[in-house]
Amino acid sequence: MKDINEDIAWAKINKDVLKSLESPRKLYWVILAVAIAMISVAVGCEVYQYNMGMGVSNLNNPHVWGLYIATFIFWIGMSHSGTLLSAILHLMHADWRKPIYRFAEAMTTFSLMTAGLFVMVHLGRLWQFYYSLPYPNDRGLWPNFQSPLLWDAMAIFTYLSSSILFLFVGMIPDLAICRDNMHDGWRKKLYTWLSLGWEGTDRQWRNFRITYLTIACFLIPLAVSVHSIVASDFAMSQQPGWHVTSFPPYFVAGALYSGCAAIITLFIILRYTFKFEEYMTLSILKKTVRLTFAIAMIWTYLNAIEFASVWYGHDQPSKDVLIQKATGPYAPFWWGMIFCGSIVPLMLAFKRFQTNIPVLLVTSLLLNLGMWLERWMIVAPTFSHGYYPWTWDHNQWPSWVQWGIVFGSFGWFTLLFMVFCKVFPSVSMYEVKEMVYHRSRATKKLEASGMQAKGAH
Amino acid sequence: MSQRHLLALFSNFDEAEQVIKELRNTSIKGFDVNNDLVVKSPIEHPEVEEMLGDKPVYVQWFTLFGALMGGLLGFFLISGAQANFYEQIKGGKPIVPFPPNFVLTYEMFILGGVFITILGFLVCAGLPARRSPLYSSKVSEDQIGILVKADDAAISTLKNIFTKHEALEIQEEAGK
Amino acid sequence: MSVTNLLENWSEFRHAHPVGDVPHDPYKWAMSIDLDACTGCNACSVACYAENNLPVVGKEKYAAGHSMHWMRIERYWPVDDTTSLEPATREFPDQGAQFLPMMCQQCEAAPCETVCPVGATNHTPDGLNSQAYNRCVGSRYCSANCPFKVRYFNWYDYPTTENVWPAEMTQQLNPDITLRSKGVMEKCTFCVQRIRAGERSVKNEGRVLKDGEVQTACQQVCPTGAITFGNLIDSESKVHQQWKAQRVELTADEQEKDKEADSGLRGYRILEELRAYPSVMYMERVRESAI
Repeated sequence: MKDINEDIAWAKINKDVLKSLESPRKLYWVILAVAIAMISVAVGCEVYQYNMGMGVSNLNNPHVWGLYIATFIFWIGMSHSGTLLSAILHLMHADWRKPIYRFAEAMTTFSLMTAGLFVMVHLGRLWQFYYSLPYPNDRGLWPNFQSPLLWDAMAIFTYLSSSILFLFVGMIPDLAICRDNMHDGWRKKLYTWLSLGWEGTDRQWRNFRITYLTIACFLIPLAVSVHSIVASDFAMSQQPGWHVTSFPPYFVAGALYSGCAAIITLFIILRYTFKFEEYMTLSILKKTVRLTFAIAMIWTYLNAIEFASVWYGHDQPSKDVLIQKATGPYAPFWWGMIFCGSIVPLMLAFKRFQTNIPVLLVTSLLLNLGMWLERWMIVAPTFSHGYYPWTWDHNQWPSWVQWGIVFGSFGWFTLLFMVFCKVFPSVSMYEVKEMVYHRSRATKKLEASGMQAKGAH
Repeated sequence: MSQRHLLALFSNFDEAEQVIKELRNTSIKGFDVNNDLVVKSPIEHPEVEEMLGDKPVYVQWFTLFGALMGGLLGFFLISGAQANFYEQIKGGKPIVPFPPNFVLTYEMFILGGVFITILGFLVCAGLPARRSPLYSSKVSEDQIGILVKADDAAISTLKNIFTKHEALEIQEEAGK
Repeated sequence: MSVTNLLENWSEFRHAHPVGDVPHDPYKWAMSIDLDACTGCNACSVACYAENNLPVVGKEKYAAGHSMHWMRIERYWPVDDTTSLEPATREFPDQGAQFLPMMCQQCEAAPCETVCPVGATNHTPDGLNSQAYNRCVGSRYCSANCPFKVRYFNWYDYPTTENVWPAEMTQQLNPDITLRSKGVMEKCTFCVQRIRAGERSVKNEGRVLKDGEVQTACQQVCPTGAITFGNLIDSESKVHQQWKAQRVELTADEQEKDKEADSGLRGYRILEELRAYPSVMYMERVRESAI
């Protein structure tokens, strides 16, 4: 099974991808409509909460954080796989990433934007959010640079802006293709403007290559730092169940995990909606699935290590929190997390499921459900069973306002993502050409040297 | 003497390479192969660039500068702000604590690096660029374009070379 | 500008507190609470509501965990076996309930201060843990990181909520204190408005406050005198003498009482092993029976 048909004509690549900008399947419009409906639920909840106060979310003392922060971590985590595919695999010369990295990168950008919203939604005084930005002012006031929340803000800003730039730079040659082929209208103007006059000259390509490589090198440590910093929100605090040294790598593994699962989901949806069967091939899907399986096992290991180190430690409050997670009111969700995160991915080890689209769609959604539960199980149980017994509260349950906003965030992400895929080429045309070019050359070389041609891998 | 542009399109890299080789080996009056030749291709292709001779890339110096400035700015901005901010203790930690500042310095290092690299890319690649006088949308599809600039006298020689190597199409700038 | 400032005052910017640091001068506000004297009457809590304009949220919101009691009386029933988490077998043991008045411990190294993204909560030069309402954006990280969970968030806009202060009650609101709007974190301040007023009044006389010149509301109303508040630096003050008698050190993370088995000492601070260095000393109960 080949990753891609090597004889595919370059003109056909242009034609097929450009078609996705104009004629998706009907399903596309259905998804868009559902997404907008979901957003309106969230907007309604937020307006209500904004006017009434945070109390309507049913957060309380000691449960001062809830689904908002859990979902915030979830979206941040989801963003990491775009970087994995576009930067890490780029440095490793894994060319099978080429047809799918563009949408993964878009996923990075949009899930970061969604995560940013949760920070806002969570603030008690949303209208004063700018107090946490370091801007010069007459009063000489600055935010508190010691707070992990501020590191978060800085890390997310850096990551979001770098990801957008990376996405944009990588897209310039494709924007030029769009400019050359689109008929007149606002989109042609947009592409002309965005492609910056790219003509594929040798000077442009030479600088492009170095720039792309350099930013890829920056993005890898950046992505790792972003989720370690999110982990620091918890690990740097003093609370039982949070003050865990292994949190940063654990969070990074969880991030890559949920991101890879999301890539599988979106892969399947895009492949069908935009008729990308020839580019997003089952062989590439299989590689992604194997990668996901490997990361799932890393996550499982780190999860087990965290429990073990708490269990063998002498810190009774932390141990109590762990016992609470497994036996208390959160037990169904905690065991659900273990099931979805560690048991379900075992399916992916079987060859026959690795290319079975319906199975993979369900599995990838379950994996992400598990990863969402994981974040919730990090945030909530510590509040319910902290250091101070008098404040234990095992009965708090998020209100419909919280659930509504979490629900709507998925619509918001889907809307942004789907609009992107319709306006910009979600398969990288020039890189698929490179892939086809290099692979067919390699095959020819093999044939020339008398060996039997096999797949590139 | 007035100069004109000529764009020839080729169907694959091997042909384009042959043309460039020949252009480099023949000396044509009124045409400087190092400055007047531009290759346009739909994909990134380092081998062709090698044929054009050693042309250095300076983007990485922008990167170095940007990253260092970002890091330095980050550290001093943050420490300076902490020092001016009421001089109040938080959590018993020093007013200018190193671990948080290093985290932020690290982020600013990357931020500066990425932003200035992009700036360097735009400067070094000359983007946003004016569109060159001759262009074919085939270049962004599947053909390799060779754009030359030469004196009127050299145009016909160049045309002959292109035709010899089976150029698919030759565009010529109208004479002035 | 700021680089020069950094270099000139470098050592000042690098000292850690309170271990290895100069003590506060001339004031370090602290408290001691005698649990043996506490009867759990809740007068302190009521006084706190009156003094600090705390919203009375009502039954439903209280049940939802939205109460605003800066000073709370915690009730504990003794257990049969202190090493086990099992509840007592008898519903009302002979000893009766034990009470613990709990408010912000004004930690010297407060976990809440470092995590605030906007720097709304700081350590003041007289050893208090301050809270700037105007600066607070409501991220609630301080409360998340507070081991005692003594920070209270304005989940609703209480000044405009019905029945929080019924019409005639607005007359009793303390004019020295603002009303807090929704989305702001608040907590016990050691009645900082009284401290500041006291400081201002003695400033004209060119002296520092003497013991007893500033009382917190809870201390003032406690019928058994279980709460003592004062300046820990002032060796004349009662709080200083109590801390000294119990051999409780502000900068220690384990007190004499816990080091020796039969020292006869009663003074301890809550969750000391977390090294937040609270400013409130509790004296454990010695009496056997209910009052």
